[in-house]
Amino acid sequence: MFKVTIDGITVQVEKESTILQAAEKAGIWIPTLCYNPALEPVGACRLCMVEIDRGGWKQLVTACNYPVRRDLTVSVSSERAVKTRQGVMKLLLARAPESAELHDMAERMGVRSTPYPKVTESQRNCILCGLCTEVCEEVIGCSAIGFAGRGVDRVVAAPFRQPSEDCIACGACAVVCPVGTIQIRIHPDTGEAEISPFKSRVKLLVCEECGKTMVTEPLALQMLKRLDMDWEKFKTLSRLCPECRRKHAARAISFVPEKVR
Amino acid sequence: MIAADERVKSPEELKKVQKKLKKRDKSVVSVRVCIGTGCAARGSHKIYESFREAAENAGGGVKVEAKCVGCHGFCERGPIVVIDPGNILYQRVEEPDVDEIFRETVLGGKVVERLLYEDPDTGEKAKTEEMIPFYNAQRRIVLKENGRIDPTSIEDYIAVGGFTALLKAMTMDPGEIIDEVEKSGLRGRGGGGFLTARKWRSCHAASGKEKYVICNGDEGDPGAFMDRSIMEGNPYSILEGMIIGAYAIGASRGYIYVRNEYPLAVEHLRKALDQLRIFGLLGEDILGAGFSFDIRINRGGGAFVCGESTALIASLEGRAGEPRAKYVHTVESGLKKKPTNLNNVETWANIPAIINGGGEKFAKIGTKNSKGTKVFSLVGKVVNTGLVEVPMGMTLREIVYDIGGGVKDGKAFKAVQTGGPSGGCIPAEYLDAKVDFDELTKLGSMMGSGGMIVMDEDNCMVNVAKYFLNFLRQESCGKCTPCREGIPQMLHILDRITSGRGEEGDIEMLEELAELLADASLCALGKTAANPVMSTIRYFREEYETHIKEKRCPARECRGMFLYDIDEEACRGCGICAKNCPIDAITGERKEPHVIDQAKCTKCGTCFEKCPFNAVVKV
Amino acid sequence: MEKEVITAIIGRYERDSGMLIPMMQDLQAEFGYLPPEKLRMLSQELDVPLSRLYSVATFYSSFRLAPSGQHEVTLCMGTVCYLKGADRISKRICETFKVEPGGTTEDRLFTLQAVNCVGACALAPVMIVDGKYYDGVTPDSAVKVISGLSLEDDEKEKAGPSSKSSKGSGASGKEVQK
Repeated sequence: MFKVTIDGITVQVEKESTILQAAEKAGIWIPTLCYNPALEPVGACRLCMVEIDRGGWKQLVTACNYPVRRDLTVSVSSERAVKTRQGVMKLLLARAPESAELHDMAERMGVRSTPYPKVTESQRNCILCGLCTEVCEEVIGCSAIGFAGRGVDRVVAAPFRQPSEDCIACGACAVVCPVGTIQIRIHPDTGEAEISPFKSRVKLLVCEECGKTMVTEPLALQMLKRLDMDWEKFKTLSRLCPECRRKHAARAISFVPEKVR
Repeated sequence: MIAADERVKSPEELKKVQKKLKKRDKSVVSVRVCIGTGCAARGSHKIYESFREAAENAGGGVKVEAKCVGCHGFCERGPIVVIDPGNILYQRVEEPDVDEIFRETVLGGKVVERLLYEDPDTGEKAKTEEMIPFYNAQRRIVLKENGRIDPTSIEDYIAVGGFTALLKAMTMDPGEIIDEVEKSGLRGRGGGGFLTARKWRSCHAASGKEKYVICNGDEGDPGAFMDRSIMEGNPYSILEGMIIGAYAIGASRGYIYVRNEYPLAVEHLRKALDQLRIFGLLGEDILGAGFSFDIRINRGGGAFVCGESTALIASLEGRAGEPRAKYVHTVESGLKKKPTNLNNVETWANIPAIINGGGEKFAKIGTKNSKGTKVFSLVGKVVNTGLVEVPMGMTLREIVYDIGGGVKDGKAFKAVQTGGPSGGCIPAEYLDAKVDFDELTKLGSMMGSGGMIVMDEDNCMVNVAKYFLNFLRQESCGKCTPCREGIPQMLHILDRITSGRGEEGDIEMLEELAELLADASLCALGKTAANPVMSTIRYFREEYETHIKEKRCPARECRGMFLYDIDEEACRGCGICAKNCPIDAITGERKEPHVIDQAKCTKCGTCFEKCPFNAVVKV
Repeated sequence: MEKEVITAIIGRYERDSGMLIPMMQDLQAEFGYLPPEKLRMLSQELDVPLSRLYSVATFYSSFRLAPSGQHEVTLCMGTVCYLKGADRISKRICETFKVEPGGTTEDRLFTLQAVNCVGACALAPVMIVDGKYYDGVTPDSAVKVISGLSLEDDEKEKAGPSSKSSKGSGASGKEVQK
């Protein structure tokens, strides 16, 4: 165990913990965008920068992935650390001016506006944090999307910028996106789920009784791999949505609600 | 012909081969033709072919050998041909000259005066390499055999003492080898300037049986071609260094990462590796010492950022070249998460000399904290363009003037840019600064990989900063916010300034962005991206201010920010300018001086380009 | 039949997915560019996600996802070449032949590449056409050289600059007039 003192508050953490984890323990908030507890921290967005004491000089490091390997003294609220984080946020606001989530975080950080003009184009406020690509590869195991290009013209896209053949429209990318770029759209008319802006369209299972859309077929297939169940059995079980299934079950045992006292 | 084409299984066997090859036939006349990329581009291959033919048909008991050699460094004067005995250097040789050289010099032992180097000031002719100021002020350790050996002949390398260092190293303890490197004070030659021995020691000490050594041949700084010349001209020195390093560190696998744009370097390295394997210096149980090591070459895919060690490693793992956090060093966890020691080409090439002569001897050259020599590519507006190797501590003035011959075309010196896109511009007042790692950093620049670009009064320093930022904008990997977003922001401001739309507060904003990039970027590309801007603001602030306040470019480079005018006295009235002017802003009678209507002129520069009498001037 | 090429390439590197970039370089050397179908095959056989191959193909400048022109014109945009006017040369080529850096002319005559420093700074500005180096290039001379290229060069030797071996057998294939 090592002692980490953050802005005066000392906590004990295990070796290889990160400064961010120590800060959480200490109850100190550090802004993050490209960090997600389910994934390996990457230190890409540079929003979580803090100062550590190197005995004689101070070093700016990213809190999300700096490993604690000895006792540390960290400053989150030093002038330099605050200025640096605010500077990063100002650059992000210039790139993605329409993200409500980004503005909320900026406010919380004390950044009202940005002095910088918009000189780079983002794909609907995408800040290239990489969480979507990482979750798709590491957690879901589909690798449907990835980074394409290099530098400012980089985007997140499916191969050849075509709708992905591997996407199962599970929506994990939309869940982890910190700025609201990725959205799941259900198209009841075509019975498809779409992950926007990647244009992936995937067939949804549809309730045979009421026509409500349920989970996507490929997602179901993915789950089956882990449940050791075959597709045919699954299809018979998933003919009906949970609602309709309940009604059928109730009828099957002649359950009439009025008769219950 | 004695060849190193059989496996040597012990140090004794290697020594025997060395001895045999060292006994060179002194009666052979040797014609060495440089086929480095620079000379090759000027047709030196044909010259070599002609010499080879002539040598074959010589007959009459005269033994002549024609040889291809690597870059001598004096690229300005290529193609270069050197004749031995005598070490006679001919420059700017053309194919038709071959006959005369063969007749007069090779067979007749006489000198062809017109092909010798002539001092531009004194008119004196220099017969040999040592007599040319460009060379004699240099101290060639790394480049010693460049231009002497055939870079595809392992026998040549052995004949000049190659692999003596390896033999010596394998009688030493790994710890002793690292001690020797430490005594030498060798610091990384790729730009990082990190103490080499410290890296080796950490990697040696790291836990794990599987370790790697990497040679960084991804020389990407525009204007720098030192590593290219070493890889092309003497690949064996690099490989010998790597084998010694691997032995000291305990690595069993090595990689050489070569820039995609250096195909000749790849070819020569490949040949050298093949030969070393046949000879038994790579592979299993090298020299019977129980040490197994082999090297593989990877070509870059075309990304400057892959010169950064973690990005290079990502590339070797089959990924996009994105750097990663270095809180855990690569010597502990690098390629495939194993301890990895990465060094630059020139760093590796210094190792044999250090082991041969000892670390202390090496440390006698250079300054207190920068030992040994450094190879620089001296280019730009300088008379003698090429590669120079000098001891650390030589002054900029000595390099630019004594070796470089001063500024071309009689123009005024303005600045020397060092360190590529991570470096800065140093003005005339610091010409007497001693060139070493710390001095250059103090001046707001850095050593970098060794590029030294001389600039004159016609270069606009704001435009120079813009050039480097534009370069980095294209090469940024895009992973971290400050670099990816900050560089375009700075570029946007510089675009405005260099097109007459600069505003009050622009310099301050550039300074703020520079600080943010230096503090918050993930890797050295981003961290040093603002150096060209900051150093030019530091030393040439008035130039920035003139652009912003007066909307004028003092160096007359930024389009639209200076005027074109016609010199009455020089103008012959030929009318070519008027004919070519896209908006008919030039008037004049035939044979009479023409005039530009400044109100109409869009400053496109066409008249300036087309005038055959240089009568159009920039004001 | 087509799969054999992929299998051979993968085998050449002992199926090591870390050697993905050399594999893709070999693939491009074989077909002149990276055909999407071949990338799919490579992805399947090597068991590496297609999105990763696409990431790599679009990250590194030397990879092409579309067929290139019959000839390759490379302009060096390194510092020294730039200081000596490489920018103007590039603009003139683009205007004259209606092509963008990185792109190919409509008639597929040539692909224009801008690279950052080929390491021949004494020869600045440098242009390389089908592996042959031209030094001290001007907008006029560049246009002249390129105008001399023709589509009928079916013996195009896209050997690249390495066509010159150190034992100097000279460039093979048709040479472009200077």
